[in-house]
Amino acid sequence: MVRILQPEERREAVNRMHELSNQDILLCLQCGKCTAGCPFSNDMDLAPHQIVRMAQLGLIDELKASEAIWYCATCFTCVSRCPVAIDIAAVAEVIRLYLQMDDEARFDPESIPKSLTENAPQQALVSLYRKFGN
Amino acid sequence: MKVGYYPGCTLKGSAKALDETTHLAVELLGSSLTEIEDWTCCGATTPLTETRIANLIAQTRLLAKTRDAGYDALVTTCPFCFSTLKRANLTLANDELKRRRMNTYLAEDRRLRDYETPPPAWVDYSGETRVLHMLEWIRDDFGFQVISTAARVSLKGLKVAPFYGCQLLRPADELAMCDPENPVLFEEFLGALGTDVIDFPNRIDCCGSYLSVARPEAALRASCKILDSARMHGADTVVVTCPLCFYNLDYFQDEMLRGNPEFKQVPILYFTQLLALALGAPLDKLGLDSHKVDPGPLLERFTVNVPGEVPA
Repeated sequence: MVRILQPEERREAVNRMHELSNQDILLCLQCGKCTAGCPFSNDMDLAPHQIVRMAQLGLIDELKASEAIWYCATCFTCVSRCPVAIDIAAVAEVIRLYLQMDDEARFDPESIPKSLTENAPQQALVSLYRKFGN
Repeated sequence: MKVGYYPGCTLKGSAKALDETTHLAVELLGSSLTEIEDWTCCGATTPLTETRIANLIAQTRLLAKTRDAGYDALVTTCPFCFSTLKRANLTLANDELKRRRMNTYLAEDRRLRDYETPPPAWVDYSGETRVLHMLEWIRDDFGFQVISTAARVSLKGLKVAPFYGCQLLRPADELAMCDPENPVLFEEFLGALGTDVIDFPNRIDCCGSYLSVARPEAALRASCKILDSARMHGADTVVVTCPLCFYNLDYFQDEMLRGNPEFKQVPILYFTQLLALALGAPLDKLGLDSHKVDPGPLLERFTVNVPGEVPA
């Protein structure tokens, strides 16, 4: 069930998103080009354009609970195709940041099987820990 | 223009072949690269939130160090380093608040840190060092025509699919190197080497990046799609610039084969390996033993020298 927020609460969430991501999400037209281009939209429980729509509605708790924000590889395909130039990768990063601020996203490098880390290029580990960690 | 070379962590780790063939190719072009002294991590990713400015420190320190060592530009082969350094550079040039916060912090850090021999005081950095990718540097400093003329081995008939990956292309307004939807730089480079360049629609896709560690199934699917497409369009090999693209596209091919017996393996090459090969480097100098899918059999027929031009 989708929650409906009071206008004040919603406005506050949108303003905070604006402040942290430097993105004006209210410009989003819901055209779906981000989702069409996203290489991982099929793996996501919320498509990129839905992430933006939910952010517009202030549904931050729902976004924090989504798997989608962990499937963003920050490849910036959505950003380069957005007709109103919203950096959706930054919106997803703010949601991850919220979780980190709440101390709910302490990423445990030990949780990754050794078979995946021992051969991975160093840049993959550095960027993964920076994106997922704190 | 004095150019300093920044290899970055991966080129000294899992992608030694990329570092070695970069040096080898530039030497075969009659030039050389000087590594910046005492370099540190570039930070690998660009912080996308306004509060995470601590994630700009590594980039700022490195760019200032390059300037202070007397270089005008920094050239790097790894697209992650290129992207984050170039983007940080723009931020430092254009965002006054972040620039001041960075410089204030780094000046204090230098003053308060317990150095054995204290370095000179921090000089404010505001984006003076130019950041170049190796492909850009080769194009602008040598010119693709020069490579074409210098090539000692004809790669005609080698069907190569250029794979750009994400960090070289996007966000295009900041990286300012290629059209994000229809780039030509890599094609021009490979064309200059005499190869048959294959056009395939997935050349600007994402290979899965660091998701291959965190969400391996998703990255595997993305990489597999790229390889299938390249193969379907007739490629003998997929050429990359990025060690992470290389890893995702090369390392997991056994698994792709396990998942789909119809899957056809494709050797992956770094652009510098192909450049060094064209310039006359022998196969055993290309670091091919680090590849999971051996490109040796494919490349053997391209080591025959052009008559009359025997490399020393």
